[in-house]
Amino acid sequence: MPIVKIFGQSLRTTARKARLLAFLWPTYFLFAILISAPFYFLFQSHFSRSLMGEKLLTGMDILWLGDLVYRYQESTPLLLGWVLGTSLLFLVFAAFLNGGIIGRIAAGEERVTFPGFFGDCGRYFGRFFRVFLVSLAGYFLLAVVGRIASVPFRLWSKGASTEWTTLASSSLRLLVFLLLFSIVRMFFDYVKVALVSDDSRQVLRTTLRNFGFLGKRFFSAWSLFLLVGLIFILITLVYLTIAKMLPKTGIGPLLLFLWQQVYFLARLWTCVLFFATEYHFLKAHRTASQSNL
Amino acid sequence: MKRAAWPSVIALGMALLLAAPLRATQETRPPEEPGSPVRYQIDVALDDAGKILRGREEIVWRNTSRDEIPDMWFHLYWNAFKNERSAMLEESREDGSLGRSLPEEGGWGYVDITRLTQADGTDLLPTLEFMTADLPLHSQDRTVARVLFPAAVKPGEEVRLLVEFEAKIPRTIARSGYYQDSYFIAQWFPKPGVYEEGRGWNCHQYHQNSEFFADFADFNVRITVPSDFVVGASGKQMSAVSAADGKTVTYTFEQARIHDFAWTADPDYLKVERDFLAGQEVTAEEYAGLAAKLGIPEEELKLPDVKMILLIKPEHKAQIERHFKALRAGLKYYGLWFGPYPYETVTMVDPPFRTGSGGMEYPTLFTAGTGVLRDKKVLSPEGVIIHEFGHGYWYGLVANNEFEEAWLDEGINTYSTGRVQAKAYGPGMFSASLFGWPLTRLIHFPVYFDFELDRLAAIMIAERDPVTTASWLFSSRMSYAMNVYMRASTCLNTLERYLGEATMLRVMRAFQMRFRFRHPRTQDFIEVVNEVSGQNLTWFFEELFFAAQNFDYGVSKLVSQKKRGRDLGVFEVDGKKQEVKPEDVERQEKQDKEKGEKAYITEVTLRRFGEARLGGQARVKLRVVFEDGNEEVREWDGLDRWESFRFETPARAKFAQLDPDLVWLIDSDLANNSLKLKPGRGGVTRLTARFLFWVQNHLHLLSALI
Repeated sequence: MPIVKIFGQSLRTTARKARLLAFLWPTYFLFAILISAPFYFLFQSHFSRSLMGEKLLTGMDILWLGDLVYRYQESTPLLLGWVLGTSLLFLVFAAFLNGGIIGRIAAGEERVTFPGFFGDCGRYFGRFFRVFLVSLAGYFLLAVVGRIASVPFRLWSKGASTEWTTLASSSLRLLVFLLLFSIVRMFFDYVKVALVSDDSRQVLRTTLRNFGFLGKRFFSAWSLFLLVGLIFILITLVYLTIAKMLPKTGIGPLLLFLWQQVYFLARLWTCVLFFATEYHFLKAHRTASQSNL
Repeated sequence: MKRAAWPSVIALGMALLLAAPLRATQETRPPEEPGSPVRYQIDVALDDAGKILRGREEIVWRNTSRDEIPDMWFHLYWNAFKNERSAMLEESREDGSLGRSLPEEGGWGYVDITRLTQADGTDLLPTLEFMTADLPLHSQDRTVARVLFPAAVKPGEEVRLLVEFEAKIPRTIARSGYYQDSYFIAQWFPKPGVYEEGRGWNCHQYHQNSEFFADFADFNVRITVPSDFVVGASGKQMSAVSAADGKTVTYTFEQARIHDFAWTADPDYLKVERDFLAGQEVTAEEYAGLAAKLGIPEEELKLPDVKMILLIKPEHKAQIERHFKALRAGLKYYGLWFGPYPYETVTMVDPPFRTGSGGMEYPTLFTAGTGVLRDKKVLSPEGVIIHEFGHGYWYGLVANNEFEEAWLDEGINTYSTGRVQAKAYGPGMFSASLFGWPLTRLIHFPVYFDFELDRLAAIMIAERDPVTTASWLFSSRMSYAMNVYMRASTCLNTLERYLGEATMLRVMRAFQMRFRFRHPRTQDFIEVVNEVSGQNLTWFFEELFFAAQNFDYGVSKLVSQKKRGRDLGVFEVDGKKQEVKPEDVERQEKQDKEKGEKAYITEVTLRRFGEARLGGQARVKLRVVFEDGNEEVREWDGLDRWESFRFETPARAKFAQLDPDLVWLIDSDLANNSLKLKPGRGGVTRLTARFLFWVQNHLHLLSALI
């Protein structure tokens, strides 16, 4: 099945499963509140009874920033530790959520419900967490390959006689790294999708089989993946363009916050779209293989 | 540097460490004679293939002191790049930055004196010895050398020296060097130190944190380079003569009354010239307004025309006019505020790629530095152009000892740069880029004035080292930079707010014009401040410059309660004891309410949280605002640890605010300068909401890994 058709199918599936966003957005929001809470209380203790508190982020001056940095410079390790710790916890939680997303996509015409979504989260969590552990090997390989791939750019930059060379070199190095990262990410996405599609618990076997599957269809799978990535970039550019135009004072901060949440919803939507395209691609090519047999 | 035994040297080091005020009470400095005590005639040739300079220098040095001087101390700055045992590189190792400082193989630099004679042929080279007098000791540093004269140089006498030297150009470590066929050449020739009457030669080693100090001199320099090179240098180009074979060109530059000479050569430079025409740049209204503000005749303010020369790399060609606009702003405002620029030319250099020579000042020449993708909203390169040009005033003309009192040029110039930038451009945007691509084109970052960021650094470093610490004796490179640049600048901004803009301008102008072509010290600046302001502000410098203390005043308590009509207890009324019960109090309150009588007792407690104190006539203002819109204002001298104020008013207090005019910018905690009776959440919620969004982004980015 051509990529365009699969993409169209995925868009329809994503639209049908839009209710996933109703579970995902609050989850991310609540987790973000959990991480932000200590900072809120810190800011509150320092600024709530000060006239300076009224000036925060109104664009009048940034003297409050000096106060904040000075006051909490000793607390930085503690705060960073908090953010790091909760971030690691979130990694585990993200594996949990991915199960629900892919599970509901694979559920076909079934409506997305609260028990259905979180049931799938639970059902696939163990498998997806094992996929994450296996993927660490993939990221390690990425680091090695990335380092090797960066050598010609470093050599090119070393002999540079103008800044354009170093700019081009670092930009290309970043692009190569991002493309390699997208391959690793796509590979393990397909492993997760295959586990759900086959209702299998055999992570290693599915991972190995995935080499075969993607090996035969690499460029079409990757093109589809990059297409969704491009949509994500376009959404970000639209967000930044409109965010710049919003007023900085008055109702502006509230509008900005709302716009930021709309943007975040769009990011979650692309997340669902990624999995939907992978699911339909897998299904289409598996069906085609079986038909050929 | 005292030419004395070790105990005196150690005593000097201890004195600097303890940051004892450099008072004129212990010594009386003789007035400096005007005119240049030194003349240089230098011929130098660049060997592009070997990366070597071969030079011949004729130095005429006049003894302007009343001492008989038996020796001469020289700076040989490039020996700092000779090996890892130099003071600079040893200090870099201690700082943890040595790896970044080390040159590649073959990239070391040094300067060798191959011949040194007096005009009569007396060979002084055998008497040459290297001196390592600064503490802590770096015994193998070779950046200071001394030679002995056969007979002491008497007061008023001149000595003529012929010096031949060979200097290996380093692959840039600090400010000077080469990259491929681009050169920036600074601190390259053997240079005498400064002789101070009664104290000896002031000739410090080249440290990681220090800059330079030299006598004013008249320079005539002939530079021979391959013919395809474009050359820029301090002073005015007098001629460019091709060799007979056409392979080289000799450029001659001259400049009187400067204390350093730098030059640059690169075949790729574009040389662009413009004229600063004062008649077009400054209006009659501006002259009149400023003359009235400063209380001086307009004629004293008139600016001269100046030739502006820009050497810029081709890839930055699109920014030529940005460079000139910034330089015009510098020439105009430094000139109007502090005194006219006294030289005919100023050369602005876009430093060659990877020569590490950007953002540095030399008399009549400075380097800026930019990038190929620079957003106009970010004031770069404008900020660095204004700053480095400004050093032509603070360090170039008012030539402080940058080793010992770096704040006198860096701090004053940072303060001046912020003023000029604010006047010419307004606030600039935070700069942020990703792999060289400016993010400011996509994201609206906050805009700020320099003094806001300077204050951030100033308060963070308050208790580390005094601002007046000698450069190489700061506890770290960060402390040096943040103290001499930002803390000094913030203190000067505070002084301006305290004195008022007009008085501060008069102070700065007086200091500039009085000490042009001289070597002032901190005490000289303090005396000018006291004289022009009419106040004794020595306390200001003692608290904020000579000591490492935190300045923090705040409102620690605000209570505002209804005054009770009656109090509980037993009272004598008409000779009889009468008990006032709770019901009596309630009845009274009801009556007061019916009559509409209200009175509130408001108590405000101010505290001095830091060790630094106000002094002299300085007071900090307290403003209390009440719910009916009325205000009460009081003043406090801030000497004690706390002070309370009591008000009886018809309305409850809304808030108490200390220093409402934000005079004391150096205060490390401005949030505690005000206290509201009722807490608010609006600002904190705004800030947290913004933070929340970035946390969401962070979480979503993490989920890409899973």
